Amino acid sequence: MTLLSDIISASAHLHNSNHLPSDEYDRRIRELVEYFRRLQSTKALDSFASDGTFLSNFDPVIDSIPYLFVLRVQIQKAQEINTNVLPADLRPSGKLWTCAAHFLTNFDGVQVRYAGREWRLLVELVGQASQAASMASRLFFQSYSGSIANLTLLQPLLGAKLVRDAMLRLDPSCAVFTSSHLLLVRLCLQAKAYSCALPVLDKQIFHFPISQGRAFSGPSALCADHASSVSFMTEASGVSSKLSYRDYLQYFLYGGMVYMALKEWRNALHFLGIVISAPSTNPVSLIMVEAYKKWVLVGLLEKGKLCSPPSITTPHVVKVYQSLARPYIILAHAFEHGDLKRLDAEIDAGKGVWCADNNFGLVSQVVGAFFSQTVIKLGKTFAALTVADLSKQVFPSPVCADVTRSAVSSLIISRALNATLVQTKDHAESSMLRFSSIHSLPRLSYESDLQSQLKQEMRIMEALVINLGETNNNLGLSDEYVDSLHKGQVWSGSNEVNPIVGGEAGLEMDEDLMGDMS
Amino acid sequence: MDTTLPDASGSSRADMDAALEANTAVTAPRAGVLVKVEEAPKFDLDTYIANYTGRTRYDRLYLIGTCSPLLSTDALKAAIAEARSSKDVSRYERAVRALAEVAPNDPDASLDAAWVQETTRYVQTQTERLEHELRGYKNNLIKESIRMGHEDLGNHHYETGDLAAASKAYSRMRDYCTTPNHITSMLFKMVNVATERGDWMSVQSNVHRLRNSQSKPDDAAKNLSKITAASALSQMHQGSYLEAANSFLSIPPDLGDNYNEVITPNDVAVYGGLCALASMDRDDLQKNVLDSQTFRNFLELEPHIRRAIAFFCNFKFRQCLDILEAYRPDYLLDIHLQRHIPQLYKRIRTKSIEQYMIPFSRVTLDSMAKIFAPTIVGGEAHPTDISSPFVQELVGLIQDGVLNARIDLEKGLLVSNQIDLRAEVQRTTLESLREFNEEAHWRILHAAVLEAGLEVKPEKGEGSGLGKAGRFPRGSGRD
Repeated sequence: MTLLSDIISASAHLHNSNHLPSDEYDRRIRELVEYFRRLQSTKALDSFASDGTFLSNFDPVIDSIPYLFVLRVQIQKAQEINTNVLPADLRPSGKLWTCAAHFLTNFDGVQVRYAGREWRLLVELVGQASQAASMASRLFFQSYSGSIANLTLLQPLLGAKLVRDAMLRLDPSCAVFTSSHLLLVRLCLQAKAYSCALPVLDKQIFHFPISQGRAFSGPSALCADHASSVSFMTEASGVSSKLSYRDYLQYFLYGGMVYMALKEWRNALHFLGIVISAPSTNPVSLIMVEAYKKWVLVGLLEKGKLCSPPSITTPHVVKVYQSLARPYIILAHAFEHGDLKRLDAEIDAGKGVWCADNNFGLVSQVVGAFFSQTVIKLGKTFAALTVADLSKQVFPSPVCADVTRSAVSSLIISRALNATLVQTKDHAESSMLRFSSIHSLPRLSYESDLQSQLKQEMRIMEALVINLGETNNNLGLSDEYVDSLHKGQVWSGSNEVNPIVGGEAGLEMDEDLMGDMS
Repeated sequence: MDTTLPDASGSSRADMDAALEANTAVTAPRAGVLVKVEEAPKFDLDTYIANYTGRTRYDRLYLIGTCSPLLSTDALKAAIAEARSSKDVSRYERAVRALAEVAPNDPDASLDAAWVQETTRYVQTQTERLEHELRGYKNNLIKESIRMGHEDLGNHHYETGDLAAASKAYSRMRDYCTTPNHITSMLFKMVNVATERGDWMSVQSNVHRLRNSQSKPDDAAKNLSKITAASALSQMHQGSYLEAANSFLSIPPDLGDNYNEVITPNDVAVYGGLCALASMDRDDLQKNVLDSQTFRNFLELEPHIRRAIAFFCNFKFRQCLDILEAYRPDYLLDIHLQRHIPQLYKRIRTKSIEQYMIPFSRVTLDSMAKIFAPTIVGGEAHPTDISSPFVQELVGLIQDGVLNARIDLEKGLLVSNQIDLRAEVQRTTLESLREFNEEAHWRILHAAVLEAGLEVKPEKGEGSGLGKAGRFPRGSGRD
């Protein structure tokens, strides 16, 4: 039991340390982490591994690091005993699961920065466990009817919520991309719990973990208050596993799909735009092509036209898209042309393509969007017209007036269309659709709505400016920049200022002088 | 006196020009689809044709003869007489063929074989004689003689209807012209040939050369009216009606009967008036057409055009359109206007609907239909129904963005769109803000990806991977 008191006294160093200067705190916490890593490697902690009550000695709010390490050891032990990566205790409602959930919802964000790798492994385990549990129950309940499916969806949702809360706890701005991001959206998509991912998705990503050598390593310690999370979410901290281009492409594609499921087309377009415009040395990833296909369809749904890829997309990539997503582009042209017959024919002809790409759901929504777009366009020509006339304008073949009326009224109810339906007195005639002009809008609610939207955009812009400065700073300290600065100076001679770099070359001059002296 | 050409060019250049012209030449006035004008025109054929001289007389008569069933016999007989008095066999044959279709029993409807043979032989010997003479002049190396030789040959070809050869001969004169007068006369001949061939690009370029020619101020002033008229005509034929209108309006009144082989002062009034109506708004019409001192002289010749423009300026669109409608057959029988009348009338109509709408915020469709579609009001049960041609016309105009208004079919109104500036500004602000934010985020991420070295690149020793991402076989696999 001496070990226990050792641990408690070691971690007690950190208690009530709020008043400490941050470098002192930094030193102590580093020592503590070192101590635990040492204990772990010497297997000194193994004696507590099967002691279920041991964890209750610690409160994750203040003793995050001991709790995390002990939990790790206990999980490892359970894995060894059961010779299974995901022992029953770790499954939802298992003993270890409860501890992990307790930790992930309560840990101290600053302390965990020092044990990023252990934190990530725990998050990944939780994700895997909930996923595996749903798999198993799906197999188990296979013979039962579909109502069980809801139950199997519940378990990835449990994991997703934990992962999301843990991520937000560690880094409230969520501006640095980590492998947990991908894990989260994947879990949410599996659980069909789309809005669960929103708190993270709505936070814009600006950075990727950068390696320690390149990170701008100021004197500030990890625990200090950082303006941006990029300074403690580094590659060395282990918060994220090693990333490849595929990870972030998948994340943004999946994120776009989450927004699509929630019918937030604009955000979906933004996410897909990130994937489409991803920089590429030469090859094109199929994830990007996949995203482009969805981009075309979502563009039709949101804007009613074929959106061109973001301006930063490299031209050769655009060419590849155009040849690989041919059916989608043809479909978009049919949509823009405003010919329902042709659109239907295109959709029929490409049925195999949509199904193979798993885009059939989107394509079937395109028809509905076509109707609403046409009706909105008619609103620019007519101030009022009968529903019968309207259906003549929209549908090439005669359609029952009731069908049109119900379609129009659902448009009005969903606020896609700003109009009113008026029942004329004699019922022989069909009812009258009156498009409202901008004047007759309910001014007050409209204005306040607009104001809040403007405010939100302003917040986004402020975040953009801050992170732009951050990015600029990081780029300015990168090896490539210094190299090119150096080259520029060599080319332009000693007494001329490099026109590309401009006045900022002053810093480099000093270094050169030093070089000459040595 | 030593003069250079406006655009100095060697003989090879002249040949090239001629060859080019031969290729691009279009006999547009005759090649187009035939228009049949059933209504009787207001003019009298004899007095009408008496206004013109030269080869255009035949062209005009032939056009009237083929397009107007009422006048066809008279016009074609006159055309045959015209052709027989010249040396143009092909024209004679064409007129006789046309007459045989309308009036097979007419004595003139059969070919006079003896005349044809005689004229053909005469033309042939004449051509040979002139070419022989020209060769002689060339051997003697006397510039003036060579020039005249070319001119004679060109005139001969022009009279006998070989327009391509004529323009070739005229363009060869260029190297032998010694005075500015020679140059202008040569260029005028080329303009005439090009006008008859319907080669308006060539008319335009020759007009340009004429403007730049360094002739004496007196001569230049004398020629100015003709030059402007030719240029205006070619602009009208190229469909740039506003430029054409301005050119017509700037023709000096001393044009008189000097240019009757192409255009009469009456034509200037009609062409200019219609082009102006089709392209200018009310203020410009009042200022540039009705109040113009120079154009007044022309307008007096065609008072109905003057009245139409005045009605247009005074918001009396019905009367204006009525006048134009009454004269439509006349204009359809005009050799230059025929192709442009549908387009010009459509523009005038569109413009009057547009102008009519300006002072109102809402107009009943009935009152508009009374002005712009009286036949529909009289003829149909629901003149303002959605399927009526007038409403469809309005729909087309709105969708083309000409009319900034919306149709209210319940109350039968045309309501002009009032833009709420405040809402508009709010909307555009929000939109541009969003676009900026999106773009900026894309770019920041782009930079971040590059900084982290995560750009998409080929991976060594990788198979098909997860099936999600694979290498795209493009270019060399450089890493």
